[in-house]
Amino acid sequence: MSDVEVDAELEAVLRRWSERGRTVFAELMEDATSALQRELVQRAVLAGHSPGEVHAFADELRGLSDDECFEACTVESGTAGATVALLLKAEADPLYAFQLKGGALTPNEHDDAPSMAMKILKENARAADAELVQRAKPRKAFAADSGAFRALPPRPVTGSRSSLQPVATRLFEELLTEATRPLGVSWREHELDTPDLSIEQGLQQAASSIGRGVPVPAVLGNAQGKPLAFVVMLQTSSAGATRAFQLFEHGTRELVWANERDLIARGELPFENKALRRLLRIALPRG
Amino acid sequence: MLLDELSELRAGQVSQKTIEDLTRALRELDGSGPIEAASTLKTLAQTRFAGAAAALLVRWAPKVKTEADVLALIGHFHRLALVSGVLSAFRRGADRLPRGGG
Repeated sequence: MSDVEVDAELEAVLRRWSERGRTVFAELMEDATSALQRELVQRAVLAGHSPGEVHAFADELRGLSDDECFEACTVESGTAGATVALLLKAEADPLYAFQLKGGALTPNEHDDAPSMAMKILKENARAADAELVQRAKPRKAFAADSGAFRALPPRPVTGSRSSLQPVATRLFEELLTEATRPLGVSWREHELDTPDLSIEQGLQQAASSIGRGVPVPAVLGNAQGKPLAFVVMLQTSSAGATRAFQLFEHGTRELVWANERDLIARGELPFENKALRRLLRIALPRG
Repeated sequence: MLLDELSELRAGQVSQKTIEDLTRALRELDGSGPIEAASTLKTLAQTRFAGAAAALLVRWAPKVKTEADVLALIGHFHRLALVSGVLSAFRRGADRLPRGGG
């Protein structure tokens, strides 16, 4: 399962999901492109939706900016026909609000069949609106990136640790995705030099991306693994069995060719700053 | 060449949105012949884009001689826009690195 941070309340709900459902949730947390998206998905889980519904909801949100997400999941109090109960329910359940605003979802039922506990939760959630009004409690505002989000008590994005693994620090994934979303490109950040992905494997994937016309953002660090510089991998060049990568270092604006062998061996690279010798992270285009 | 072009666009204060608009406009050349594509580039430079962006289009127009050139041009501008976006993301994330990213 991928790394996620959840709090106790959310974890209690997720414990009632199947293994497949929990895996789906972890992937959705990784794939979300902003803190607001993660929060909205988590609240949809807390509102009692199935993994398939939550998955479909997250997929709809992913291509939206924070302002667009907020707009899509907020039912204004002045909306015609909006009763108090409806507004309260929409406030607590962004997926419900999304559907009220005209958003269509196609849940993937294969993600998970709701567990018995989830079915009971859903039945309760379908109870009369008056029940929701009764259950409504004073709420604090959630300061989203683009406006207040008055719903459940705020849960910090980097919440308390749980039995699920904590989120690995992402240095630049969401910044990149936000910057290139208008071009139809989103990114997934990968830590290199780990049991999951070696530098060699990462470079192979980077070369593939570059070959398809998509440059690869990366982070260089010192020998101890401290991140020092952003670079973008622009081109590759091969001579026999040797391959080199053209790297542009953002801070100093240096453009160099680095031998793949040196990158794999964490050897000295042809930058002015000789501390830059270890490829720590790359971002690869999704899809 | 790509980085030089980006430098020119930045010096000419061409916004990322304009670069994206440029890329989208060029994507519509897909399927066009080289003569039509070159003509479209000049038209875009005269009517839709200005300054450094227009100058770039005018510079590329005479180089488009084959259908392969048209596709290469579309790919080149897509890469240019991506790199521009990536670099803007780096600027925004500079404080996530020690000493602002060096």
